[in-house]
Amino acid sequence: MKPSRLLFGAVVAASFAGLISWQYDAEANRQPPRFSVDANWPKPLPNNWLVGQVAGVAVDRHDRIWIVQRQSTLTADERGSDPAPGNPRRSDCCNRAPAVLVFDREGTLLKSWGGAADPDFLTTRCNPAMGCEWPTNEHGIYVDHMDYVYIAGNGGGNHQVLKFSNDGNFIYQIGKAGLTGGSNNTNGSPNGTPLLGQPADMEVDPLTNELYIADGYQNKRVLVVDAATGLYKRHWGAYGNVPDDTNPGPYDPNAPVAQQFRNPVHCVRIANDGLVYVCDRVNNRYQIFQKDGTFVREAFLERDTLGNGSMWDIDLSPDPEQTELYNADGENNKLWVFHRATDRVIDSFGRNGRSAGQFHWVHNLAVDSRGNIYTAEVDTGKRAQKFTRRNQGYSSVR
Amino acid sequence: MSRARTIAPWWWRVLLLAALWIGCWAPAARAHDVAGELRLHAFAKAQDGQLQVVLRVPLELLLNVDLPKRGNGYLDLARVDEALPRALRAAAKDIEFLADGRRLELGRGQARIALPSDRSFESFDQALAAVRNQRLPSSTDVYWNQGYFDAVLEYPLATASMDFAIDFHVAPGLRDRLKLDLRYITPAGDVRAFELVTGEGVVSLDPRWFQAAGTFVQSGLHHILGGADHLLFLLCLVLPFGRFGWPLVGVVSAFTVAHSITLLGAAFGWLPAAAAFPLLVEVLIAASILYMAVENLLGPRLQARWLLTVVFGLVHGFGFAFGLATELQFAGSHLVVSLLAFNVGIELGQLLVLALAWPVLAWARARLGSHERWLTVVASAFIAHEAWHWLSERFTQLARADWRELLEAFWPQGAAAALLLVAALLALAALRRQQAALPTVRTSD
Repeated sequence: MKPSRLLFGAVVAASFAGLISWQYDAEANRQPPRFSVDANWPKPLPNNWLVGQVAGVAVDRHDRIWIVQRQSTLTADERGSDPAPGNPRRSDCCNRAPAVLVFDREGTLLKSWGGAADPDFLTTRCNPAMGCEWPTNEHGIYVDHMDYVYIAGNGGGNHQVLKFSNDGNFIYQIGKAGLTGGSNNTNGSPNGTPLLGQPADMEVDPLTNELYIADGYQNKRVLVVDAATGLYKRHWGAYGNVPDDTNPGPYDPNAPVAQQFRNPVHCVRIANDGLVYVCDRVNNRYQIFQKDGTFVREAFLERDTLGNGSMWDIDLSPDPEQTELYNADGENNKLWVFHRATDRVIDSFGRNGRSAGQFHWVHNLAVDSRGNIYTAEVDTGKRAQKFTRRNQGYSSVR
Repeated sequence: MSRARTIAPWWWRVLLLAALWIGCWAPAARAHDVAGELRLHAFAKAQDGQLQVVLRVPLELLLNVDLPKRGNGYLDLARVDEALPRALRAAAKDIEFLADGRRLELGRGQARIALPSDRSFESFDQALAAVRNQRLPSSTDVYWNQGYFDAVLEYPLATASMDFAIDFHVAPGLRDRLKLDLRYITPAGDVRAFELVTGEGVVSLDPRWFQAAGTFVQSGLHHILGGADHLLFLLCLVLPFGRFGWPLVGVVSAFTVAHSITLLGAAFGWLPAAAAFPLLVEVLIAASILYMAVENLLGPRLQARWLLTVVFGLVHGFGFAFGLATELQFAGSHLVVSLLAFNVGIELGQLLVLALAWPVLAWARARLGSHERWLTVVASAFIAHEAWHWLSERFTQLARADWRELLEAFWPQGAAAALLLVAALLALAALRRQQAALPTVRTSD
């Protein structure tokens, strides 16, 4: 090739380099967030353990991932080497795992405790004599800013939230198993805490050390208690109204918007800007409140969804502005991404199925400090999954 | 770097045994175990004739100090002051500070218990004020292993200006599961961040230029000698050169200059942020070895080899940079010196390998006589085989990564840089052609 042509090529290449740098506008190239499933998360469990329905997932301040799972939902063949009392061992697989399992971001099991599958736990560390009534159907888990762990239950008669130390030592119980007092009860439990109605989820406000409870499958309210003592502070229903337990009947997408929550009130999340997000699952909406219960606004999702509804659990992106809001939709089996400031749906991913990255009754989700999402599935889903964040998206997550 | 010689006290040894037990049974870890990674935090600053260290230790690590408790596992803060001096002495024993090579004696100390939600360790001043002035009310519920032990340690100094070093050896058996995040505030007010792994030995906080240079020459040497892929690439480069001469020197120099450019660039932060970028570099390094080996087999074009060497050298430079990334914290204020020293270490390693390999190659060529090309063919075939395995393994890793993220990371700076590189190479090639086309001027007899 002639030197002049080579020089011409050099000039063209340099010109393009300049053009690219000049033309690029990072803001205009914002893409929806992308996630890819990590099929190797979590790593295989030790001790031939198998998990049942994974009813809750949370990420603590150390980026450790906590799940609570229901050992009681394992079928006889799934607990073949760990059969119910009186039954013979029927196979090599499997043993029931403890209820609470803690993983690191890479999926290594760090610790475990709780429930009937943890030897002696229900006799020595959590028993009714201590005031600790472990639920028959675990539901939701949360780890607060001081590393305390909260677990709720929604089985028949499970009207309690339990607080534990990080390694599973009982601290206190809110509510009383088998006893419920409607959505306006404030102190009916023997220990002076409010009676609950099959609570679903909870979160602690680190600024005030107040525990917000999504209460629940039987009650229709958000309840706030002192996280140190479990004693009542305030509560409210949909639109900030006094909750009314009258049965509103089944959800009808063509009917006027419900003025009360339907059961279950399935999640509560507190954003950095002080807004409180509440999942009104069957009404296919989240409602946003101030911390004192003042209604701010609401957003609907897939309003034609019947059955279990579309708004199961909410968590927020880890950037300071918490730009993105994620919702686990266990009826349509998708993860929805909202632009939080505008309540606009940006994207969704997932579909019903059993393969990696698909969902069956995706029940809860949680986000770590790097923007990775962890999901928990119930019914016959029985697993936790990790979705690794792949780009900046709308948030400033890197 | 010298190693820690202090004998661990009994309670750290107990912790070490516990850690080993956990190591064996980690999957079944249960309550009271040290789960995952633990971090201590510290600030160090020399002022008013003393070195002040503000230290934060997770309570989990004070397993055997036996702080008084009440109720169902809360610390008894009304009585905890009796036990804090023991914890303070234990901490000072296993986190030692040195000045001008001598271990400092602890003068005064002060300690407190803090809640897990306490945020006072954001800065030196904030942390110091908190430990000195803020005490939790004795009615506060602090679970015995959920919170922090905070301390101020004061070491009197003989002179105002001293070279400080740290020897962090708390439960050294925990190795990289126990780290200390140390921020050292220099006399000029700069904050230098260190992430130290327990039991690593003495680390200088403010190395002189020659200390930093020594550390990094060593580091560069270790890096090149420990990197089989870089060495095989080098071997591939020189194999077809039958004689030691300028073409060989040119090729080795081209490799050196090229990898120095990207190594220095990467050290100053000119690296794509994509998580998959290191994987891409690893793939390209394997591909570069494979290409060179195959070219050696098919018939090397030695005149043009320098050009390819420049391109591949740029890629290898990124590879070196990844090795350097975690080391730069030990550079002190001598970043440029340390980078150059790291590069010198790499070059020394290269020269050492060439000095050892060249006589062997020369001897083999002499033995083979007219069949000397077989040496290049056989050696390149083996190298190509190995490189192919690396390439396929690394590509499998890369294939799992997000390509769009990679492309985004390269856009626009990467694309512009690549085009500029193409422009520069084309211009260089044009210049060479131009020179080659000039008529040879002969002097008259």
